[in-house]
Amino acid sequence: MTLLLAICVAVIFGVSIYLMLSRELKAVAMGVFLFSHAAHMSILSMSRSPIIATGIKTPPILVGHGEQLANRPPVDPLPQALILTSIVISFAVMAFLLTLLVLTQRRAGTLEVDLLAKEQLP
Amino acid sequence: MNPDLIILFIVIPMATGLTTLALRGHVVLQRIVGTTSLVANLLLALACLVYSYKTDTILVTQMGDWPAPFGISIVFDALSGMVLVAGAMVSLACYIHSFSTLEPDVERGFFHPLWHLVMFGIQLSFITGDLFNLFVAFEIMLMASYALLTLGATRKQMTQSYKYVMLNLLASGIFVLCAGLIYGMTGTLNYADLARIVAQARLVDGSPLPVGFNAVAVLLLLVFGCKAAIFPLWFWLPDTYYTCSVSIAALFSGMLTKVGVYAIARLYPMIFAADLVTDPLGSGQSFVQASDGVLAGGVTQNLLLIAAAFTMFLGVLGAVSMHNIRRILAIHVISQVGYMIFGIALLTHGGVRGCMIYMVQHMVVKSSLFLCCGVVEKHRKTDDLDKLGGMVKKTPWLATLFFVAAMSLVGLPPLSGFFGKYVVIKEGFLTGYWWLAVFALMTGLLTLLSMLKIFCYCFWYPSAEAEPATVIATAPRPRVASAYVGIILLVASALFIGFGAEVVNGYADRAADIATNPRHYVTAVLGEEAWLHIENADTTEIAHSTEVTP
Repeated sequence: MTLLLAICVAVIFGVSIYLMLSRELKAVAMGVFLFSHAAHMSILSMSRSPIIATGIKTPPILVGHGEQLANRPPVDPLPQALILTSIVISFAVMAFLLTLLVLTQRRAGTLEVDLLAKEQLP
Repeated sequence: MNPDLIILFIVIPMATGLTTLALRGHVVLQRIVGTTSLVANLLLALACLVYSYKTDTILVTQMGDWPAPFGISIVFDALSGMVLVAGAMVSLACYIHSFSTLEPDVERGFFHPLWHLVMFGIQLSFITGDLFNLFVAFEIMLMASYALLTLGATRKQMTQSYKYVMLNLLASGIFVLCAGLIYGMTGTLNYADLARIVAQARLVDGSPLPVGFNAVAVLLLLVFGCKAAIFPLWFWLPDTYYTCSVSIAALFSGMLTKVGVYAIARLYPMIFAADLVTDPLGSGQSFVQASDGVLAGGVTQNLLLIAAAFTMFLGVLGAVSMHNIRRILAIHVISQVGYMIFGIALLTHGGVRGCMIYMVQHMVVKSSLFLCCGVVEKHRKTDDLDKLGGMVKKTPWLATLFFVAAMSLVGLPPLSGFFGKYVVIKEGFLTGYWWLAVFALMTGLLTLLSMLKIFCYCFWYPSAEAEPATVIATAPRPRVASAYVGIILLVASALFIGFGAEVVNGYADRAADIATNPRHYVTAVLGEEAWLHIENADTTEIAHSTEVTP
C-alpha cells in the first residue's frame, strides 16, 4: 500500500513540476495546486509510528481507566488532521489565485508570462 | 503576570480585523478602532517583554490546556518578544502614516481589515511553538498580504503580483510536506519536543536522528528563504514592493521578510542545526575555530553562509544600480537580510545576538525610510531620482529625518545600525569566517553609497527640472501631518536603539541564550523533568560534543 501511495505521489509531483515549468499562468496555477495535493498524499503515509520512537510509540490516544487499546494499535489520526487543515487552506488559496488570474487577464489582456514580463517597471 | 495573557497577541488583531470589517464604509471609525488596538498591542508587547526579561521567565500557555507535546504551545520569550515589540511599533507607525498617503479608494476597500489580519498572521508566527501552527500562521499572513498587495487591482499590480503569489504557494506546499516528514520521523511537531529529541540524539546511547532529517532541514530552509528573500529566492521582492501603496510597502519591508528570518533564527540554532552550534551554553568558553578550509560546518550551515554572502552583496549591488527611491530601498531589504542570515549562520551565541540587534533596528529603520519616500511621492508625485531634487529647502524636517534613518541603516557609530553590524562582523572574524566578514564590510560601504545617492539626488542637489518657483509656491501643500507622526515614531525608536544600545544588547543577549541553548525553551514548555532526563543521562557528553563538531 505504501508503495502504491509512493508511486502516486511521485507521479503527481512530476506532473505538477511539469505544469509549473509552463509559460502560461493557468497551467502554473494548476501545477501549484497539484503540488500541494501531492504533499497531502505523502503526509498520509506518515500515520505509522515514527522512525525514531522516543517515548511516543503509539498514537497519542487517551484510553479510559482500565480499558485497553485493541491488539493492533489504531492508525495515528494526527496526519489526517494536518491534511484536513491544509486542504481547507489550499481551497481558499485556490479560490483567491483563480480570482487573481481572472483579474490579471482583464487588466493585462494576457496570462502568458513572456508578455507579462514585457511590462517593465522603471 | 498571567502567562495566558499572551494569547491576546492573537486575539487583539483578529478581533480588530473583524470589527473593522463590520465597520466597512466608516473610515474614521475604522481608523480610531485600528489605532487603539495597535497602541494596546504595542503596550502589551512591551509589558510582556520587560516582565519576561526582569523575571527571567518564558511565558508559555497551552491551547485548550492540552499538555505540551500534544496541544499547541504559545510561547513568549525574549527572542519572539523583541520582534513582537519592534513589529508592533512598525505596524502602528505605518498605519498612522497611511491616513495621509493612502489613496482614498484603496482605504475604502478592505484595507483596514486586511492590515489587522496580516498582523494576526505575523504575530501568531512569532509566538507559536508548533511547526504546523507556524504553517497556518504563514498562510493567514500570506493570504492577507496577497490581498493587500493587489488592493486597487491596477494593471501595474496585476502584472507583477503573480510572482509573489506563485512562489509563496509553492513554498507553502513544500512547508506542508516538510511538516509531514518531520512528524513521520520524530512523531512530534512541537518546537520544544523537537529540540529535546535532537538533544537526546546527541547522547551516546540515544537513538540517532534519521538520515532524512538534514534533508528536511534544507527543504525547510527553502521555505523560509522564500519568505526572507535570501539569495536565489529574492527576485519577487523588488517588483512587488514597487507596485503597492507606500505604507503597505513599508509594513511589508519591515515585517514580512523578518518573519522568515525569525523562523530561521528560532528553528535552526535550536533544532535543525543544533549539532553545529558552537559554545551552546554561551558562557564565554573558547570558540571552536572553523579553521580547516573556508567552509567547515555541516550542510545546513554552509548553505546559510553562502546564501548570506550572496544575499548581502548582490542585494547591495542591485541597490547601487537602481535609480528610483522605492526600488533602491526595496532591493536594500535583501542586502540587510543577508546580514541577519550571516549572524544566524555562524551558529554561535554572539552571532544570534548580533542578528537580533540588527533585525530589530532594521525593521524600524527600513520602514521609516519607506515612509519618508511616501512623503516625497506625495509632494512630487514621483520617486524617480532624475526628476527629484531640492527637497531639503522645501521640507527640511523630512530631509533631517531621512538622513538620520539612512545613516542608521548604514551603521554610523552613534546610530543604531552600527551595533548589530559590529557584533555580527566581530563574531565572523572570531569564528574564522573572515571572508564573510569582509563581504559584510564591503556591503556596508556600498550601502553608504546608495543611501547618499538618494539623499543627494532627492534632497541635497537643486531640482533637476527647473520648475518655476511660482508653481511650487502656489501648489497646495499636501496634508501629510499624520505621515510625519509615523516617521517620527520610527526615527525616535531608531535613535533609542542607537543610544540605548546597552538595553537592547541585554535583551538580545537573553534572546541568543534561548535560541542557542535549548535547555531554557524545553524546560519552559515541557517542564523540568524533560531536560533533566537528558542531562542526567550523560552530562559530560553534551559538553564535549562541541569539540567533536568538525
